[in-house]
Amino acid sequence: MVRKLFLVLAAAASALAINGVAWADFTILVPSSSEGDGLRAAAADYSKMKGTKVEIVQAPYANVFEQGANAGATKSGVFDIILMDDPWIPFFAENGHLEDLTPFFKQAGLEGPDTDFLSKSLAICRNPYNTGPYVCLPYVGNAQMFFYDAAKYKEAGVDAPKTWDDVLKASQALTKEGGGRYFGYVFRGGQGNPVVADFMPIFWSYGANMFNEDRTKVTIDTPEGAAAMKTFMALRDVSPKGIESYNANEVGTALAAGTAASSINWPNWVATFEDPSQSKMVGKISYSPIPAGTKPGSSEIGHWTMGIMSASKNKQEAFDFMIWATSPEQIKISAERGNPPVRTSVFTDPELTKQEKFRHYPVLMEAIQASTPRPRHPKWPEIENAFGIELSKAVAGTITPEEALKNSQIAVEEITGLK
Amino acid sequence: MLRPDKGMPAASPRPGGVLEHWTERHLRYLMLAPTMIVLLALTIFPSFYMFYAAVHRISPNPDLPWEFVGSGNFARLLTDAQFHVALRNTAVFTIVAVTFEFLLGLGLALLLDRFIRRLTFLKTVLMIPMMLPPIAVAITWKIIYEPQFGVLNEIMFRLGLPLQAWAGDVNLAMFSIIVADVWQWTPFIFLLMLAGLASLPIEPYEAAALDGASSWRQFWDLTLPFLKPVIAIAVLLRVMDALRLFDLVFILTGGGPADRTKVLSLYIYQVAYRFADPGYAAAISLFVLFVTIVLSTWFMKRMRLAE
Repeated sequence: MVRKLFLVLAAAASALAINGVAWADFTILVPSSSEGDGLRAAAADYSKMKGTKVEIVQAPYANVFEQGANAGATKSGVFDIILMDDPWIPFFAENGHLEDLTPFFKQAGLEGPDTDFLSKSLAICRNPYNTGPYVCLPYVGNAQMFFYDAAKYKEAGVDAPKTWDDVLKASQALTKEGGGRYFGYVFRGGQGNPVVADFMPIFWSYGANMFNEDRTKVTIDTPEGAAAMKTFMALRDVSPKGIESYNANEVGTALAAGTAASSINWPNWVATFEDPSQSKMVGKISYSPIPAGTKPGSSEIGHWTMGIMSASKNKQEAFDFMIWATSPEQIKISAERGNPPVRTSVFTDPELTKQEKFRHYPVLMEAIQASTPRPRHPKWPEIENAFGIELSKAVAGTITPEEALKNSQIAVEEITGLK
Repeated sequence: MLRPDKGMPAASPRPGGVLEHWTERHLRYLMLAPTMIVLLALTIFPSFYMFYAAVHRISPNPDLPWEFVGSGNFARLLTDAQFHVALRNTAVFTIVAVTFEFLLGLGLALLLDRFIRRLTFLKTVLMIPMMLPPIAVAITWKIIYEPQFGVLNEIMFRLGLPLQAWAGDVNLAMFSIIVADVWQWTPFIFLLMLAGLASLPIEPYEAAALDGASSWRQFWDLTLPFLKPVIAIAVLLRVMDALRLFDLVFILTGGGPADRTKVLSLYIYQVAYRFADPGYAAAISLFVLFVTIVLSTWFMKRMRLAE
């Protein structure tokens, strides 16, 4: 009797182990951040409303990419939906990990996503960029903005910074006065993604780009690149000691604690700056689009997008959820939960815009529409790593800015095979 | 069961006797089977799979076949500048960190063994860092090193000393990681040395004292030779662990600034998961395994433990 019971229990345990998460109708992989928390809350609402069992798997930023890539490479079907950072889209799409959404739209009687979505938000969800089929839907409308303490800038003789020269003028004065405890500017100088993310908007605002238009040549080491690097190094000189290891948290904390006057950052930091329990600068931080260099400024777009994994066994259920979660009503709820929207109607909704905590919406919408995506290449993680190493060396002063550009040019040429 | 060849009458065969006989003859193999299966599944199969992966180029696209490249991935090791940087950093970290951990661990063990033997509370306190999860240690040190709000710079400021970037400074980043590692793992060496010292015979020391040998002489000619096997094991385990350093670097510096703290484990992780090139990552891993085996064998021989 005991033996039989043991065998039954063993068989049940094995079946559970083999089936894994099969108890859920579909599973979503999300980052452990405000974006992932927002989608988790939406999934809980969906479950209650539809009686559908949705499982959310949360992982740190880098692990979301790794787990998604692993699931794609092994065709495990463990995840049905992945919430992706937009620079990952070419990797996932071009390695066959993402489902083309065209047939699902057709079956739903739609030509594609509606026109209430911002055009730049939709462009990144097509692969190739803005021309190919949709492989995902935008969910969180991140694009970098320029954050600054308007009162401090005014003290330094700059009313509203329009150009990088304005930023430098104010920052140099503020850092000089700060005596090593207050700084005019702060940026993410950490090797890899952080330093690249904070350099790219400056790079673009001087007319530089990583590739030429038809993607046949690497164009990092150019006079435009050198001009951008010159500004970047000048900004380094007015930033705190140790920015070589700074990431978004350190930059955000410096602004919230009132030890730095300005930075480029992501819009989800607005909630922190306006929260008295986390910030000394409530109501004091102003937001503007990225300043201009020799060309108009351009933010780096950093949308979070939902795509269906090719190996998913619940594609229709996943698509239905994505359509529901990106509807105007749900994007508004998502905005109220702290995630920037991707729809014009939500950006301009008077119920939201009259609230102090959404006062940055007009600037953010402008920033998204003037944004540039990170170079769309399936080897972007490797390119970003190589570029990030050279930028980190330049920031740390172990090589000259000129050497950093030259080395980056060679490294990216080798990775992409474009020589 | 009685055996006919011993002149005893054979027992009549019982139902199931053949199976019983077979089971009895192969019992040792049957008992070993579960362990062997687990060993095969968790150690031998992954090892062979790693060899197999190391000679292929593996696309992240599951529809593309693995391409056999022979020694191609190993040849890349010769020209890969990032690998060379990681190798150099790993060597520097291992040599400096393990040397400090050994000297401090041995020194503390001698101090506590000789002078404050009864303070078990102090011994327990000294072992706390080793018991902490590596990620918790890394995060703690990240907060200590934080240039603007960190404890260390606050102390520097109050003492009127210049503030440092610690983990963000090219000249201090590796040093910062070494300090954190020494803080965490010195107790391990200390614990082993303390156990070694507790097991030393008393007679040789009494004889040496009678002959007028100084404390230093006794340490040099008796304690160190007696402790040699313990030292060998402690240092070997630390070297093997130091070669796999990951957590501290991942949290504190991410390999920067300027690649100054990129170590082999971090590079393997990047190649495998960020650059989606598991074949090359397997080749680097095999290289690390090879280095570890060579170092261990050489070290064991040097310490005359091999025999």
